[in-house]
Amino acid sequence: MNKIAIIIRREYLTRVKKKSFLVMTFLGPILIASLWIIPFFLAMNSETKSNILVVDETLIEKDGVKSSLYTEKFKNTSELNFSYEYDISKAQDLLKEEKYDAVLEIVKTNDMPPIKGFLFYSKNEPSLSAQESMRTQLTNILKDHVLVYDYGMTEKDLDWFNNPKIGFYSKDIRSGKDSYKEIKTILGTMSGFLIYMFIFLFGAQVMKSVSEEKTSRIVEVLVSSIKPIQLLMGKIISIALVGLTQFFLWIVLSFVLIAGLQSFYPQTFTEAQKEDITINERVISVDKIQEASSSSAEVNQIVQGLFSIDYVLVISMFLFYFMAGYFLYASLFGAVGSLMDVDTDAQQFTLPVTIPLILAIVCFPIVIQDPSGTAAFWLSIIPLTAPIIMMIRIPFGVPAWEIALSMSLMIVFIGFCMWMAAKIYRTGILMYGKNITYKEIWKWFKYKN
Amino acid sequence: MILFSAKDVSKTYTNHKALDKVSIEVEQGSIFGLLGPNGAGKTTLIRIINQITAPDEGEIFFMGERLKADHVHSIGYLPEERGLYKKMKVGEQAIYLAELKGIKRADAKKRLEYWFEKFDILSWWNRKVEELSKGMQQKVQFVTTILHEPKLLIFDEPFSGFDPINTNLLKHEILELKKKGATIIFSTHNMESVEEICDSIALLNKSKKILDGKVGDIKQKFKKNQYEVVIPNERDIRQYLTDGVKLINSINNPYTQVSTLEIDKGKNADLLSNILLNTDLISYKEILPSMNEIFIEKVSNE
Repeated sequence: MNKIAIIIRREYLTRVKKKSFLVMTFLGPILIASLWIIPFFLAMNSETKSNILVVDETLIEKDGVKSSLYTEKFKNTSELNFSYEYDISKAQDLLKEEKYDAVLEIVKTNDMPPIKGFLFYSKNEPSLSAQESMRTQLTNILKDHVLVYDYGMTEKDLDWFNNPKIGFYSKDIRSGKDSYKEIKTILGTMSGFLIYMFIFLFGAQVMKSVSEEKTSRIVEVLVSSIKPIQLLMGKIISIALVGLTQFFLWIVLSFVLIAGLQSFYPQTFTEAQKEDITINERVISVDKIQEASSSSAEVNQIVQGLFSIDYVLVISMFLFYFMAGYFLYASLFGAVGSLMDVDTDAQQFTLPVTIPLILAIVCFPIVIQDPSGTAAFWLSIIPLTAPIIMMIRIPFGVPAWEIALSMSLMIVFIGFCMWMAAKIYRTGILMYGKNITYKEIWKWFKYKN
Repeated sequence: MILFSAKDVSKTYTNHKALDKVSIEVEQGSIFGLLGPNGAGKTTLIRIINQITAPDEGEIFFMGERLKADHVHSIGYLPEERGLYKKMKVGEQAIYLAELKGIKRADAKKRLEYWFEKFDILSWWNRKVEELSKGMQQKVQFVTTILHEPKLLIFDEPFSGFDPINTNLLKHEILELKKKGATIIFSTHNMESVEEICDSIALLNKSKKILDGKVGDIKQKFKKNQYEVVIPNERDIRQYLTDGVKLINSINNPYTQVSTLEIDKGKNADLLSNILLNTDLISYKEILPSMNEIFIEKVSNE
């Protein structure tokens, strides 16, 4: 068997058989699944509603019909439940009997608008969002009242006025297609972040593994059988395979877990979904036709957005930058690992490798904001940040020459880094008990192989 | 026949010259001692033989050819700093190391079972290395070094870390390997073991070879014409000294007087006949310098 294959086999099997791998493999999907499931459970369990008694003292008369301004106008929310009463002394008794959590008194005046202010009695300070919700509703109801009674607006006009449905579609100036920025942002962010995670998690593993072989001294036996570069390459490849295996298992297990939970607790999910729908209904119940057409337009836009993406390009670019980024950083991390020793401090060498990665993450928002700006351009050309930054840009469309330039620079730079890593690695692994300086590493490049 | 030779090998590291035109020749089937104080360049030379590093200058020949990548399969190396994967099982690890030396898995397993049985470590096959005592780890590592039946074996301080019983076991195995035709390069500070098992040596000091040859020849070369003469206690050797004889020292024991004499060439007969005429001669023998003495003399003279 080819020697690199022997190394890959061992490195792969020992890693995959490790307890920590198993733990991570099963814990990962649980984490992913819980991201989906927890909100459902939270939505279900946040049923601690406050009962608010509204005492409305305002009275308006229109066309001979008397009614109070606020009665039956409040909308119940997930936190608040409104009831109505007209007599303040009765209301205070009810509050004492603990039938209600709070009383909202609306004090009338004879001026226009017919309200002087609001008084809020409660045992506990209401939550900020509850306060905000009440304040908004109070203002909106008052505003609506003024608009209808003083300015003669119809209910339908009012609905439009409050909720003007103005579509916002951006189109790509080159292709004339819609640009669907949100979907592209999500896609770019996800793939860029995935690459970053993979590089960091598994690049660090390469570093750890190299330094372990060095400190346990087995490396001297190994390099008497194989070339150091073979050992390093075998290690880098096998850890990549371990990472891909783990990702694959995560995806499969997450699906299994979510599907399993859905079949075990079908009610949880259907109810949660129903809740969603009713909320939507409340919001736009006035004009059912408009509601139907607008919601389907939204769905349509998402579907169209998803269809508008060039998946062949995105996936092939993802695979390229995913592997290229990993190989670039894994070889650098491998070189750093070879400089580590039990009694010397190699932190100084980790820093230059991690800084570009962190820089890429820090520049994430800038690139998303302006995917074709100057910063985005340079960061996606420089090979150290390209794997992450270019991936954010790809869904938004990047000129072919930029992609070609970035990719070819990437390949050249990987070659350079591997050559450099091999030089450092083969000397570093045999260097014990010595404080290694940058100056000394520089000299290692002159050593004969 | 010469199995291995290095010609004018030099190697320079960042701040110092590790080897300076060192040449050695190792006879097939012999045990060759590579001696020298710490930092003399032994490890560098060994690493060059193992193709872990390359020399800046000079040529290396192995089995009549220039040293090349394939040759690692015919060389076994036990480094001074032993090391195994601590978390890996003993058997698996030994198979892995054998595979890297070009042996098929099944074959490696068969051979390992034989050796593990012999060294009484077979029951540890499925244990992790970290559970083994240091001595056992050494045994495992020794077995992995010789498993691929290399033509050339390189042992760097093989006895360090072994108790006396296991040291003997190891010595025995090394001599067995020699009997079977293996050639051994043996690097050590332990001069006693050099006397016991080495056929020839090279002494390195400060990156240069300062001495080499067969152990017997070297001893002859460094002898100082000293002799140990033992006569009965009641007599004193000083009475019998003849021309060209110098007394180095003399010790009186309960029954005998043991003296060290330096005798010029060809003057032995005079002295002996003088002693024999006057008293009993209990014993008379030539003192050859120990390798330890030669080592210290050569190195401290440099």
